[in-house]
Amino acid sequence: MHILYLALALFLLLNLIAGMYRVLRGPTVADRMLAAQLFGTTSVAILLLLAQAANQPALLDVALVFALLAAVTAVAFVRRAWPGAEANHDPH
Amino acid sequence: MTLINGLSAVLLIAGSVFFLAGTLGLLRFPDIYTRLHALTKADNLGLGLIVMGLAAQSQSWATVGKLLLIWVLVMFAAASVSQLIAGRALQRGIRPWKR
Amino acid sequence: MIVNASQKTDPSHPDSSDRPDGHRVTRYVGSGALRLGAFALVWWALTGGAVDSWLVGLPTVLIATLISLALVPPFSWSLTGFVYFLPFFVWQSLRGGTDVAWRAFHPQIPINPGIVKYPLLLPPGLPRVFLINTVSLLPGTLSAELEPDELIVHALDTEQNVLAELKVVEQVVARLFAISLKNGERNRNVQTN
Repeated sequence: MHILYLALALFLLLNLIAGMYRVLRGPTVADRMLAAQLFGTTSVAILLLLAQAANQPALLDVALVFALLAAVTAVAFVRRAWPGAEANHDPH
Repeated sequence: MTLINGLSAVLLIAGSVFFLAGTLGLLRFPDIYTRLHALTKADNLGLGLIVMGLAAQSQSWATVGKLLLIWVLVMFAAASVSQLIAGRALQRGIRPWKR
Repeated sequence: MIVNASQKTDPSHPDSSDRPDGHRVTRYVGSGALRLGAFALVWWALTGGAVDSWLVGLPTVLIATLISLALVPPFSWSLTGFVYFLPFFVWQSLRGGTDVAWRAFHPQIPINPGIVKYPLLLPPGLPRVFLINTVSLLPGTLSAELEPDELIVHALDTEQNVLAELKVVEQVVARLFAISLKNGERNRNVQTN
């Protein structure tokens, strides 16, 4: 089981890296915003697997904080860094 | 015990497959809205399955509760964030892709 | 559930204004007791059941309950509606996840996306916020915007009957909040708190 946890955590990490391609590439600002969503779920899953693999329950608390922060950063980002209706097209 | 191990391995692997689907959708789907579909749905189900797989292994009910709490939080965050991004993208006039 | 601060439960619900004060007090007490239990459960899970943590936990849980009552006043919901909602949600999430995963894996990417406008029957406030979040997690639909009486939804496959599916979801959410939706008109049917 131990190896499975670590293998899956590594697999999810590769997923995260592949997803980063979209975040870096865009093409729209909105695509970059997806980073929040991607990290919010994938990093939490990785932490949960590592908590079990390393028998470190404290990592569950880290995952909990990640889950909370992912939501807050995304909301702050959309509200602050990507203001609404005044422009009619997205300036890439 | 081995039965539980097997069940939890199946759940964990299935969950990872959904994460892979989410990543594929993120890379292959044509516009921001469809990519949001891929990320929110596939990744949430993936995380749900991984949470179930780990909960089956856990020693205490409190840990099960904490795992479920994390999943529910991530789900609420995903639902609100995806709606926020999609709404703002529409406001900014990003046209949905059409076949 | 961060949707819009202005969409909190409408304090002028018919069932909280035209009833005597005594009824309102019982509503607050009942709902407060329920939330106290829920927050206590969360604290217990967070601390892993450590007994001495309740020294901090008890006041925290109490304050959380009071704040939640101030932010979201008691609302009507039904236990049978809740019992009905959970398996519905789990099953639909499974469907939604496999559906989108299948489309992502498929070499031709079989999607036919578009915007769908859904005329809402649910009353404004918590039930609507709940519906919006549920819709975003269900197969093929993503809430994008809320207009006064319409929900703008992005659908992954417009060839499927999205409106009919949304109608089913709305009915299930209505049942959860003890509201009965009768063809086109709203009718609040207050049950337990």
